[in-house]
Amino acid sequence: MIAATIDDNYERIKADLVSRGLTYERLIDDMLDHVCCMVEEYMDGGKDFESSYHQVLDSIGEKRLPEIQHQTLLNLDKKFQRMKNFTYIFGLSSAILTILGSFFKRMHWPGAGILITVGMVLIVLVFLPLYFISNHREQVEKKNPVYAIVGYLTIALLLAGATFKIQHWPGAGWLIYSSIGFMLIGFIPLYVVNVFQRSGKEKANLPYIVMLLVGIACVMLMGNINMSKDLLDIYVDEALANEGRIEVAQERTASLLELALDSSHMDHQATISNIHDQARDLQVMITGMQEGMIAYVDQPGASIEEVHWKDNRSAGRDAILDNGAGVAFITEAKKYAAMLDEMVKDPMANAQIEDHLEFTTLVWDFEHGRDGVRDSPLMKNYYKNTDAAKGIALAEYVAIAYLLHQ
Amino acid sequence: MIANDLLKGTLRTIVLKLLADNGRMYGYEITKRVEELSTGKIKLTFGALYPVLHKLEADGHITTEAEYIGKRVRKYYTLTETGRTWTEQKVDEFFDFVNTLTYVLKPTPA
Repeated sequence: MIAATIDDNYERIKADLVSRGLTYERLIDDMLDHVCCMVEEYMDGGKDFESSYHQVLDSIGEKRLPEIQHQTLLNLDKKFQRMKNFTYIFGLSSAILTILGSFFKRMHWPGAGILITVGMVLIVLVFLPLYFISNHREQVEKKNPVYAIVGYLTIALLLAGATFKIQHWPGAGWLIYSSIGFMLIGFIPLYVVNVFQRSGKEKANLPYIVMLLVGIACVMLMGNINMSKDLLDIYVDEALANEGRIEVAQERTASLLELALDSSHMDHQATISNIHDQARDLQVMITGMQEGMIAYVDQPGASIEEVHWKDNRSAGRDAILDNGAGVAFITEAKKYAAMLDEMVKDPMANAQIEDHLEFTTLVWDFEHGRDGVRDSPLMKNYYKNTDAAKGIALAEYVAIAYLLHQ
Repeated sequence: MIANDLLKGTLRTIVLKLLADNGRMYGYEITKRVEELSTGKIKLTFGALYPVLHKLEADGHITTEAEYIGKRVRKYYTLTETGRTWTEQKVDEFFDFVNTLTYVLKPTPA
């Protein structure tokens, strides 16, 4: 009797399920039996078919069936499952590469830049697109893809900007600012609208927002701490220019020294060679500190232009402060200044020498590491050393020239 | 009621174990059985059940036989041979997991 009632309505139930969005034949069979069983249960409780059936339909709701079918078909879609696996594998491996790269960078091991770049490229060009696409495909009610696209651009630009920044490539600032722009005028308004439209159902996106904000904060913080590429470039140019000037001064000094060998300068020969020896010792000390800093971050013997970690903040401390080289140098430099001051009586020449050796009278960073060497990037310390070396070479020239003209 | 996010990873194991213990079952029967065994604490909805069943079938862990109940078709699900060994493995894994969790979460003696 009961079975007959359901069988009478078999076609109608099937048509209802189909009209609610079921098209996959094998799932229709399952759901048809399932619905009939539910109806039977209500009918066993004494209700008639119509009210039982309506109760069941109400409990199923309008949107459930397409959702179930979508999930079932995605489960069966081997290609989609493979894509999800790929997304997972790519996400994980690119994250590992990036983290490993950061670790390498921290340890100043070679290859950090390549690891970070490859990791970021994988994240931006492979993982994120796959993630957004598979996410979109899993939605039964498709959200506006604009939302995902703006989100993708925001994160992609931010990560690309961070990579450029770490690698000191030009354009990092531009990338980061356009990422922030995308977020402010695109992502956040869309997000707010979305939340209101769906009355807060989008909880899952909150971590995503938090992650984004933290990322931006990190990049901005990095911008404050790290010296900009432009400034580093200026220091490189100035350091190279100083090295050029030192060479010129030393060439001129060399020709003066030849003159000094002339017997007419007999009186000053000992003094002149004493000055020259002291100046040379000081230059050797400076060269030692310069090479020490480069060796700290790169292959020993690399030229300053090739050094990658020009913004390294530990090199100066390691090569100048910790081993006492800085203090030893400044002690000798002060003696050198005192000696020249004593020998050179001409006020003009004396003023020039004082000018060149001014660094010995300042509260110089070698003695007071804090706020000086310790907190400066390698390139700044390197430049300051070339400045001191230039002063020593010029003072040497002025002093010897003065003695020869006496 | 047990929260859905706790259940998420174990649904498949529950379905497999029920089929291992009861031989062949149909969908509605499975949901009812889960409710009964859990004294109503686990509600396995058809929305969660059928995607899992179809996936298990596609992966070769279960097979179906159709039977007519009046006009409608009822699909009975049964474990295959590979499904049976896989179930044992999954159930073992689950108990291992529960033991570990108990160990991690149990209150430390004062």
